[in-house]
Amino acid sequence: MTDAKDFVAGVDSNAKRSPRRIVFITRRTSAQVKAETEEQIQTFPEVLFRAAVAIQVLAIALVWIALVFNAPLEGLADPSHTPNPAKAPWYFLGLQEMLHYFPPVVAGVLVPGLVVMALIVIPYFKVNIEADGLFLKDRQRRLRMFYIVAAVLSIFLGWFHVVVALIPTLIMAALMLVASQSSPKSSSAFRRYLAARPLSYWIMTWFLFELVVLTAVGTFFRGPGWSWVWPWQG
Amino acid sequence: MAKTVDQYFGELRETRVWRSIFRSGTGSSTLKRAVAIQQNVFLHLFSTKVRTRVLGFSATWYLGTLTLGTFLLLVATGIPLMLYYHPSVPQAYADMKDLQFVVSSGLFLRNLHRWSAHAMVFLVFAHMFKVFYRGAYRTPREFNWVIGVVLLLITLLLSYTGYLLPWDQLAYWAITVGSNIASAVPLMGDKIRFLLLGGHAVNANALLRFYVLHCMILPLTAMFFVAIHFWRIRKDGGLYSHSSEPEVVRARVANGREDENPPSRKIGEKEDTPSTVSVKEEQ
Amino acid sequence: MSEETKKTDDVSRRQFFAKLGLGSLGIAAAGTVAFAYQYLEPNVLYEPSPVVNAGKPDRYPLDSVTLDVTTGIYIIHSQEGFFSLSAVCTHLGCLTAWKPELGIIACPCHGSKFFAFQQDGHRPGDKIEGPAPKPLPWKHIWLNDDGDLLVDRSSDVPPLARDSFVRI
Repeated sequence: MTDAKDFVAGVDSNAKRSPRRIVFITRRTSAQVKAETEEQIQTFPEVLFRAAVAIQVLAIALVWIALVFNAPLEGLADPSHTPNPAKAPWYFLGLQEMLHYFPPVVAGVLVPGLVVMALIVIPYFKVNIEADGLFLKDRQRRLRMFYIVAAVLSIFLGWFHVVVALIPTLIMAALMLVASQSSPKSSSAFRRYLAARPLSYWIMTWFLFELVVLTAVGTFFRGPGWSWVWPWQG
Repeated sequence: MAKTVDQYFGELRETRVWRSIFRSGTGSSTLKRAVAIQQNVFLHLFSTKVRTRVLGFSATWYLGTLTLGTFLLLVATGIPLMLYYHPSVPQAYADMKDLQFVVSSGLFLRNLHRWSAHAMVFLVFAHMFKVFYRGAYRTPREFNWVIGVVLLLITLLLSYTGYLLPWDQLAYWAITVGSNIASAVPLMGDKIRFLLLGGHAVNANALLRFYVLHCMILPLTAMFFVAIHFWRIRKDGGLYSHSSEPEVVRARVANGREDENPPSRKIGEKEDTPSTVSVKEEQ
Repeated sequence: MSEETKKTDDVSRRQFFAKLGLGSLGIAAAGTVAFAYQYLEPNVLYEPSPVVNAGKPDRYPLDSVTLDVTTGIYIIHSQEGFFSLSAVCTHLGCLTAWKPELGIIACPCHGSKFFAFQQDGHRPGDKIEGPAPKPLPWKHIWLNDDGDLLVDRSSDVPPLARDSFVRI
């Protein structure tokens, strides 16, 4: 006999039209069978029309851009002549910037691989499920961990002279210090906000910050030979 | 008596042919509106109802919808572009010039395709970050997040394979650098590069493989995963709305009850209640 | 009374916006169709020119039928002068052949046969037998300034008409 807890019994709602059915639902299946406590509206027309409008606005914006700006087309591909600099598409420029400091195995395979794996496991770590501020619990131990991780990361980046990655790291570390000195009772709204951010927020924001800075550097601050240029200098 | 257009359409909708195609009919009752979604082969990926709160702009910024929109634009511009593009060397470059100078609306289509591609990469990253910061990846939506990461990778690959097709200097060297990074993978790197390019260098074989990847394999894969992604939204309890989730988790953490695994929390379920089912009556 | 008017106002405003929206979508769709059609029709064709240079007339002796397989035309030198027939069978597009032993043009695919010269009241190009629905068309032939015979495969001329021949 199956364990009574393995399933629950329910009754189909429209018993007038269809013969009475008993519905057996095992745990961990679709949550939709539970009663919905929040207010809901119909997908059609509410959602579909809003989506249609959103897509139309997007289409208009992109059409206008396509009418005004031309996509680039350089000379015919010439294997005997490498342009200088040879840049990847913009979304890979962060990666290319890292290739400047680290060998291809690290910057091209290891780091992107680790990033992808880290992204995939995010929902499975308890630390990401908690929604409480990082330093609001177990403060001393967590502050120690923070100092160690920040120091190791900064020394690593400094050792390899990766200034463009070091600066965002230091900025984030400074923000986290402010958070550790704040609480829900702090005077400014900003400090209250920082105090309430969980660890998952700090890691992701650091990652986002690095992504934006590295991509921006690769796009605007790198010239021939991948040398440093200031964008306003022609 | 002359019939108005409305009358004409009204009669059309009564005909047997029409009713054999559109069986549910239209209407503004809740049932009719639910049936319009549920009986449609494409739309029944979605649930018939959505939480009101999540429809506001500030909830999601509509980033997921916009990403889908750019994908549709890319397919709609990409297929016509295929009619004038020969994936051979050096004909491909000549065809790019053709599209820009000779073909009616060719320049516009190419531009739209290119800018939509950049927009899609940007939007898919923005969507990912927005989902993360809202906490919409938590139980029971973990696997949908993973599907999302897969879609992110497919999007980047689509953009990368498309980048080679114009066969200009920009394309050729970007892909040369990229394929050399692929060869940096330990043990299998060179093999991967060889398979990707169909040879040792970026030449005619590489262009053809990237063309097939870009126009056939990757779009089909993307559509496959997009369908799963939408299906999972529905099966995981609908679009995530703040008010339906964190309370329970926060309460547990605040009470210091650190469980080994996060509870499989179902939407709307309160703590420690026996699992009962009450199904909403459809009007 | 005022409630009634309010209701009818509401409906007509909704209808107005619905018509406005659908109308704009209709115009956009029509525009898209027009531009799409223009896009699909190529403006430039990378195909060989329909005009064929057949060389000097003295290459074609009297009462000869010469087939040019690459361009699909016959140059025929008869008593009346030089004229050109299309070599593409009017049935399903196979390349016909000149049969000197039989004195006719024959198609290998389904057995259509055509006259190459005037015979028994039939004009060159007319069908003798077979499934072909129409006779082989006459093509516009003329002499250019260098004295070469030119044939325009895209331009049909009436059979046996005066200007359908080149007379030297």
